[in-house]
Amino acid sequence: MTHPYARSEILRGARDALPVMFAVAPYAMVLGAQASQVGLSLVEVGAMTGLNFAGGSEFAAIKLWAAVPPMLTIVLITLLINSRHIVMGAALAPYLQHLPKRKVIPALFFMADEGWAISYADTLRRSSVQQQTAFSWPYYWGACLPFYPVWVGFALIGAAIGPALGNIEAYGFAMAFPAVFIVLLRGMWKGPRLACSWLISLLVAILVYLTVPGAWFVFAGVIAGMLFTYLRAMES
Amino acid sequence: MAALLTIVGMASATYATRLAGYLLLRKRKLGPRARAVMEAAPGCVLISVIAPHFVSPHPEELIALGITLVAAWRLPMLFTVAIAVASLAGLRLLL
Repeated sequence: MTHPYARSEILRGARDALPVMFAVAPYAMVLGAQASQVGLSLVEVGAMTGLNFAGGSEFAAIKLWAAVPPMLTIVLITLLINSRHIVMGAALAPYLQHLPKRKVIPALFFMADEGWAISYADTLRRSSVQQQTAFSWPYYWGACLPFYPVWVGFALIGAAIGPALGNIEAYGFAMAFPAVFIVLLRGMWKGPRLACSWLISLLVAILVYLTVPGAWFVFAGVIAGMLFTYLRAMES
Repeated sequence: MAALLTIVGMASATYATRLAGYLLLRKRKLGPRARAVMEAAPGCVLISVIAPHFVSPHPEELIALGITLVAAWRLPMLFTVAIAVASLAGLRLLL
């Protein structure tokens, strides 16, 4: 059924995603362990990671969890933390115009940070060598889908073995995520002009992180970087 | 029950954010300014997510971040992640 070209593209995507699993798997185990400590059952951990499938918001939800969880607060914080997806989907949108909506809508369920960034960086690479279709649909699936079983599976393992896991954060895995994101940023590098916008994002995100409690720093950083780019584009 | 309702609420909010950008821009033709913004935006997202690491209160994490930045300059993903994790683990033993 699968076209040989599609198969090789799926594999190419999965191969690029593979090293990132070493960051995602321990992170998922930490989430699972923390979730079971605040009283989530295995079914609930599976439901949260499997239906929501967005790590940052899940960590935030676990921090707020209680016997009767504050539903409205958790949902609003999820919305705030994941508002970056709006920008991610918008960045991908021009490359998806040739695809039917009914195919794209289910595919976007699996658009998590890492798979999206891998696929987007690949799209930039291909458009720079003037490929006819810069966005590779099977590559997107190969890069995004493997994170799903890894995220849900390792969260369940973390929840099941819980305290036996010890303090996994002591081993240095805390550094895996920034490392992944920095390499992904390098893949999007297009010169100092773009990097200027990123620097504004970084500085504003840091400032808001240090001064405003809660999860506002991602939102603020993204908006600041985009606004700066817009104003600069107006001048030229 | 409250737990599952909360989870379904989270999941709906998240999926809505995943669809929104695509549904809004799917049919639009972007002008040069909007294109410039959308070109910068993906990097703005990634850097903002990891911003707290740049002001970590633990010196070993800041040093490990510096090492990671240097490693990421040239090395592929797997090596960079390995060096990042090993350098933080090593520094925690030393400091």
